[in-house]
Order: sequence, then structure tokens, then C-alpha cells
Amino acid sequence: MSLFSDVQTFVHEANRVTTLKNLKTLVESATHELGFDYFALVHHVNIYQTKADYVFLFNYPSAWAEIIDRKGYFIDDPVHFACEKSAVPFTWADVPRLVSLTERQREVLDAARHAGLGDGFTIPIHVPGEHIGSCTFSTKVGTEAPEHAFPAAHYVGSFAFQAARRLIQRSPIRREAGAPPPNQPKLTRRQLDCVVLAGRGKSDKDVAQILGISDQTVHQHVEAAKKKYDVATRMQLIVRALFDSQLSFADLVT
Amino acid sequence: MVNVITANNRHKYQPQLNAMHADRKRIFVDSLKWEIPVVDGQYEVDQFDNDDAVYLLSLGPDKQTHLGSVRLLQSSKPHLLGDVFPMLCDKGVPRGDDIWEITRLCTAPQLRGREAWLVRSYLAVGMVEIALLYGISKYTCVAETSWLSSIMAVGWECEPLGLPREFNGESVGALIINITPATLQLFRMKMGWRHPVLELDAIAKAA
Repeated sequence: MSLFSDVQTFVHEANRVTTLKNLKTLVESATHELGFDYFALVHHVNIYQTKADYVFLFNYPSAWAEIIDRKGYFIDDPVHFACEKSAVPFTWADVPRLVSLTERQREVLDAARHAGLGDGFTIPIHVPGEHIGSCTFSTKVGTEAPEHAFPAAHYVGSFAFQAARRLIQRSPIRREAGAPPPNQPKLTRRQLDCVVLAGRGKSDKDVAQILGISDQTVHQHVEAAKKKYDVATRMQLIVRALFDSQLSFADLVT
Repeated sequence: MVNVITANNRHKYQPQLNAMHADRKRIFVDSLKWEIPVVDGQYEVDQFDNDDAVYLLSLGPDKQTHLGSVRLLQSSKPHLLGDVFPMLCDKGVPRGDDIWEITRLCTAPQLRGREAWLVRSYLAVGMVEIALLYGISKYTCVAETSWLSSIMAVGWECEPLGLPREFNGESVGALIINITPATLQLFRMKMGWRHPVLELDAIAKAA
């Protein structure tokens, strides 16, 4: 059976699997077929949020999983940072090139090695409007990652993640990827204008001049926008508006 | 709402089609740096922009502004996968009267995140509606693998036709998407839409 036939079979079954438990078994089997030992399918969210809402599936040795949990390594995992920088898959050896590692991040990588994880191949999962996720395949220390299987692993990881998303988002209440959240605060045209200009680094005075209104009015618009998003700072306001696409990077960077 | 353009009615949409080709140039040539032909320094047009092509156009309220579009080609006629990228199919290029190809899906560069998402949704639902009207049961497409997750996230059932390969530094793969009436139901439910997005009287004249 060729590598592609294996991928085809995997995709066919992943598209039909009905429980996360069965998906886990399926992915684990594919992981071994590809020549890896471990897999991890995760959304890069604060794990203290409801796990049920996000993809969180892996077969790491329980000792390592326990360390990740206890030491809070999830938040500092440099592989997750690397996913923000790369739309294409990368190996763990590529990570220092993508991310300037902090002490803490180095600690995470060293701890993984110590726990028996050798080489890793990570597929970033970028779905507009959703948290970034990833599928990582890794080997035990001492085993080289199967480079010839990387394109196949790319597909298996992407389709596996989609299967997990599908199962988790089965509830009809779930909003569509990319859709604005149901309670998205709606900013008025003027509020948006002020937020965009503030986001470009303009002072209230500059914004007032550009828009032909008073300083106080600009301040009021920004305060009103902050209130709608229920945040305390302008930075938080801009981040939230970017996340739910009321604002785009193009608005801020032009 | 989405307009359907075929050989029969394209003479009525020349300015809109020009706007589409101009935006295609901005997106595929200027931004994505694809090595594809440009006409008059302004328009992205290739050999598949012929009388057999069917376009779905999402136009602004003025019915002139191009917001987004997609080109559909029959697999039984010249198309991208069959003519340019057959090596992406492990078991031969799928061909049949019920198999069409999706190409040049794009939204206008000036659209913001949310607006672009809405236009893409109109086009996606439009593609499913036209599939059911024309008896199309599968769509093929060639896509950069970094787009794979967003394509699948739309919710349709996708399968790979072969492993991805490198072209001009990009990893590219061929996919096949299954369309059934259930697909339309699923999309409408997800979007909360109850009515067709396709402009139906225009279709009657275009058939």
C-alpha cells in the first residue's frame, strides 16, 4: 500500500468517525504507520478554559502530559509560537530559526527531550476567525523523524484536526469559523474610525484633526468602544476588534 | 447575492468581468506572486477564461463593484487539474459530466475580514446551489496546502487526490469535494440562511 493510499484511507475514515475516542484511535494508528510515535492535536488556547470547546487530543506518555500540566508548559511552548510565524509545517529543529527562544521556552524543549521526545514535525492549523491550532507528530528520542513521510503527515494532520473540529463543533449553536461572535459588540462608524487611527499610533489630538471633530469627542468615541468590548485599555480594545474581524491588520498597517 | 455568468449572458456583464480580472491580477499576481499571464498590464486572464467557463460573481449593491468571484470549469473540457496539474492526482484526473473544477476563488482586496468572510460564504453556498442545479456531484480544485484547513473549515466533505507537491516554492495539492443536497442544508443551517443566494432569473436566461 502506497503512502497516498494510506492517507486516502485515513481521510475516508476520519470524515466518518463519530466520537473523539474513535478519532484518537484512528490518528494513533496513522501516526505509527507514518513512522512516528506520538501525535498531538491541539488548539493553542489557555487550557484552563473549557477543554470541551477546543481540540485537545494527544497520546503523549502520561508522565510527560502530567509535567506539561503541572508546570504550565502549554502556555510557553515555543512550537506554538512558531505556528504563529509559519503557515507551512516545520520540524522542531526549525523552531530556533522561527522564534528567538526565551529561557523558559528552552526549558520546555529540554524537558520534552528529557521526557523521551526526540524529533518533531508540526503542522500549523490556521482557520480565519479561530484560535491557531496544530498537529504535531513526534518520535521517541533516538528515532529520526521520517522525512519521506512529511507530505503525507501534512495531510493526515490537517484532516485529523478538521475531524476533531467537526466533532467538537457538532452543536448547532456553535458559530461558523470566521463568523463574528453572536454577541459581537457593534462599533459605530465614528467609533471604528477613532479606533483605527488610534491603532495606527495617532494621539487623540491627531485623530481629532484628521476627522474634523474635537479632542473630547474622540476620547468619548474610544471610551464608548472600550465599554462595548468591556475592556480597560486601548490595547485590549484593538486586540479584541482584530480578533473578531471588526478591524483588520490592513486597517492598521496601511 | 450571487450572479451566474455563462457564454449566453456574459455580454451583459463585461464591465463586471473586467473588474473581476483586475482584482484577480491584484490578488494572484501582485500579492501571491503567481507566474500567470497578465493582459494590458491590468487583467489576469488565462486560457481557461473561455466560453465554457461559468463564473459566480458577488457584486456590490451598485451591481458594478466586484466583491468576489469564482470560476467553474468542466472536467470533461480543458481545465487546470487535467491540463496543467495532472501529476497531483495519484489515480488519474477525475473526469465526468458531474465533476467540475473550482478555480480563481477570490474576494476583492479592499474587503475587511468580516466582509471578505461573508462574500466567501455567499460564493461557497452559490457553488453548492449551482452544483445541485447543474447536476454536479463533485468539485475538484488545486490549492496551496496552507489553505487546506480553511477550505475544510467551510464544512464540505473533502478528500485528497494525491500527496502535495512543490511548485515554485509552494506546496500544492489537488482535492475533491463531494456535494449532495445535505451539503446545502448544512451550509444554510450554519449561516442561518433560508433563501437561495443565486440570482435565479438570471440563471434561467443563462442556461
